[in-house]
Amino acid sequence: MKKYQLGEFEEIVMLTICILYQQAYGVSIKNEIEARLSRDVSMGALHSALIRLEEKNYIKSVDGDTSEGREGRPRRYFEITSLGQRALEHTKKSREQLWNAIPKIAMKTKFSGL
Amino acid sequence: MRYHGPPKIFHAFFRWYCKPSVLQNIEGDLLEIYHERVKTLGRNKANLKFIIQVLQLFRPTIIRPFRFTSHITSMSMYKNYLKTAWRNLIKNKAFSAINISGLSLGLTCSILIGLWVYDEMNVDAFHADIDRIFIITSVEYSGTEVAGSYDTPGLLGEELPKVLPEVEFACSYAWTGYHTFGFGEKKMKLPGNFAGVDFFKIFSYPLIEGTKDNALKTPESIVISRKMANNFFGSPEAALDKTLRFETYKDLKVTGVFEDLGDNVSDKFEYLISWQLNVERNPWMKDWSNSGPTTFLKIRKGASPRALESKLKTFLKNYDKDYSEMERLELGIQPFSEHYLHSNFKGGVLSGGRIEYVNLFKIVAIFILVIACVNFMNLSTARAVKRAKEIGVRKSIGALRLTLMSQFTIEAFLFTSLAVFLALSMITLLLPSFNLLTGKNIESPLSALSFWIRISLLTFFTGMLAGSYPAVVLSSFKPAAVLKTGLKLSASSGAFRKGLVIFQFALAMILIVGMIVIARQVDFIQNTNLGYQKNNLIFVSISGDMASKFETFKDEALHINGITDITKTDQRPIDVENSTASVEWEGKDPSSKPTFTQMAIGYDFIKTLQADLKAGRDFSRDFNDSANFIINETALKTIGYEDPIGMPLEFWHVKGKIVGVMKDFHFASLHVPIRPLVLRRGRDEMWGWVLIRIEPGKTNDVVPALETLHNKYSPNVPFAYQFADEEYGALYQSEQVVKKLSRYFAGLAIFISCMGLLGLVIFTSEQRSKEVSIRKVLGANVSQIITLLSRDFMRLVLIATVISFPVDYYVMQQWLGGFQYHIDIEWWMFAIAGSGAIAIALVTVIVQAIKAAIANPVNNLKTE
Repeated sequence: MKKYQLGEFEEIVMLTICILYQQAYGVSIKNEIEARLSRDVSMGALHSALIRLEEKNYIKSVDGDTSEGREGRPRRYFEITSLGQRALEHTKKSREQLWNAIPKIAMKTKFSGL
Repeated sequence: MRYHGPPKIFHAFFRWYCKPSVLQNIEGDLLEIYHERVKTLGRNKANLKFIIQVLQLFRPTIIRPFRFTSHITSMSMYKNYLKTAWRNLIKNKAFSAINISGLSLGLTCSILIGLWVYDEMNVDAFHADIDRIFIITSVEYSGTEVAGSYDTPGLLGEELPKVLPEVEFACSYAWTGYHTFGFGEKKMKLPGNFAGVDFFKIFSYPLIEGTKDNALKTPESIVISRKMANNFFGSPEAALDKTLRFETYKDLKVTGVFEDLGDNVSDKFEYLISWQLNVERNPWMKDWSNSGPTTFLKIRKGASPRALESKLKTFLKNYDKDYSEMERLELGIQPFSEHYLHSNFKGGVLSGGRIEYVNLFKIVAIFILVIACVNFMNLSTARAVKRAKEIGVRKSIGALRLTLMSQFTIEAFLFTSLAVFLALSMITLLLPSFNLLTGKNIESPLSALSFWIRISLLTFFTGMLAGSYPAVVLSSFKPAAVLKTGLKLSASSGAFRKGLVIFQFALAMILIVGMIVIARQVDFIQNTNLGYQKNNLIFVSISGDMASKFETFKDEALHINGITDITKTDQRPIDVENSTASVEWEGKDPSSKPTFTQMAIGYDFIKTLQADLKAGRDFSRDFNDSANFIINETALKTIGYEDPIGMPLEFWHVKGKIVGVMKDFHFASLHVPIRPLVLRRGRDEMWGWVLIRIEPGKTNDVVPALETLHNKYSPNVPFAYQFADEEYGALYQSEQVVKKLSRYFAGLAIFISCMGLLGLVIFTSEQRSKEVSIRKVLGANVSQIITLLSRDFMRLVLIATVISFPVDYYVMQQWLGGFQYHIDIEWWMFAIAGSGAIAIALVTVIVQAIKAAIANPVNNLKTE
């Protein structure tokens, strides 16, 4: 049952928002993901993910302070909603369920193959 | 101070496309990263990355929505318009049928005419450098007379490229005529022409065999069509370098084969023979003072036609020894692309030609389309009464006038599209018969993209024309008034509708009167007394020994049962064209040099033609007539002798005398006046035509016997004969086509108009059904009610008839002006057209009125 729809990148973005608790806005999320996962995050992908997540009510946002570099544009801080939290948990649970269902032998052969 | 921000264009682009709700926040992020990068990576790299980011952000979730998707209701509104339109169409089947079929008939007619016009305009358009190809025109000034033509000296084609830098290629071109060719046992008589060396370099007729350079180089060369090559040699490849026997005396080598000419070629030929042979056969062409052949030329890329024209004007001054101010030939040029449609000269100036028919038909097409559109406008506005409530409701729940207008325009487009679809199906069905009628070979245009583009334009134009007025009227209703009391159409809209009916019927009337006048004129051409009997007269072209042994041939022919008289001429008497100014007489004004048409004739010419002699006698074996002449009445007037018989006349420097005066007869087109004519006694070796007078009804007996005789004298030439009356008719082919077409057009116009009228009557009687019922209850009889319902309409038709007459008169007078000999427009033509149209309209109206009048009043009154 597709109760919670969450893409892989969307999941990463939401987890990062959680990590950055109260400090999550566009640039910081981008930098955080790039630093932790050492992968490039394009502004386009990030912001469209943020818009989609907000449309799904998984996150909410609020305009905050600005800085010199932003030339007066406010930072928009993101925060996870309870629905978003449930979605993350659901995803995590589904993953675990699948992990647990893997017979030990299957993983072993894989490692031995390395 | 220097600008430190990111690239302006991309920044602006981002601001333009980004959703307003996220613009500030994303822009802030972009700028923050940008400034950070300027510090760490430098400005250039930062700029580049900024651009990449802007492009990466250009994705559906971030782009702001466009206007039409922002109002989610729009699409469903349009759906609703279509649905309403469709329901209306189904609900009023009779109206819709009248509307759509009327419109599609009009469209069918207009599209067919359009196809014809397009076909006409595209004749000769396939030549690659058509804009650089010209034909030489010549204006002959002799005394006070000025005459334009395409006749040029035969040496011009070779001379022009040598002396004028603008001219890249030029070639002379003779007249298309029939010649006999033989290869082994095979003999064929085919139409073709003589052309100069550069012919294939000027025109783009594709050569399958041979080269453009060598095709017509040697005097014995001939280039033939694929068809002719197949007929003689089996294939184009086999034809190359073979020898064909030309007439009976000359061997020609096939130096090329060209692809068969299509229908879009103005001048058809099966073969072209080297120009040198033509000059050999016609030594007079070596003289610059004689003209006759046509000259084509191609100017160099970038050369100015203007400059060339001014050089050509006095070009012949240095060549023609007879050139003088009084007596001169001025050359000019005409773009070859215009040659097919504009080829008539009037007073030395090109004036019209087939273009007149093209324009005439264009106007007819527009007329018919407008008539059909008027139907649509009228029926839609009339029906508006029934839709008043719908419009009222739409308006009160917030429809703007503009949206209502778009609704009705969309409706008109729906109807038009249906009509176009119907019209296209009809065209597919009708095209073969249309081709037959017009003598064209138009292919179904449905596979051509350009046709669909034009059709879309036509649909759009028609939809706008038909939908504009209803849209304006219907959207102007005041909702409160309409919903409270129902619709009262304003007097002005009623007047406008009446105006449309009048306009429509006036157009139809113009077409009807036009049809009558054209038909009468064509009949006049066919039946006018030409001054000789063209029925039961046949022409056989002279060949073989027929010329040298003509007298014995004639004796033998006269023994054939059914042949009464025989003579010979150098030209067919239906289109005599040779002319000369070399005519002198006593008392001639030395400064004037009038042109005389001239023709060589054998004995018994007047008898065979059954023409009339006014004074004197025909040529006779009892006299030596070799230096004697017969003239026509017009020539007598020009010469001015009081008693012409026996008076001196010098022709081509031969001094002789006039022995006879013929009554004027038509030896050329009725478009031009009868010109002065000199008939001379041709010498025995002259070639041309045998004219044979046959007893009525004996044609079938005569022809086989004549063929046997012909083959005895001329075994190498296939026997072919022409009927004088048919050949005469062929001269007026375009008039014949116009006559036939005008009948259809006029019929269609009145039919479509009456359909509209029918729709209006149905509507009015429906609207007035209660009034009619009450009148009946109160004692009105059927005829009174019929009068009541039809009176207004008949008044409109009557007005239309009356106002169309002056327009008719003017237009037809213009058309008839193109004929020197024409009928007069008489009052009865208007009477017939008017009463015919009124009668048809009356029947249409009354049938419907009777239906309304005999209906049981109870049915209409029982519900309120």
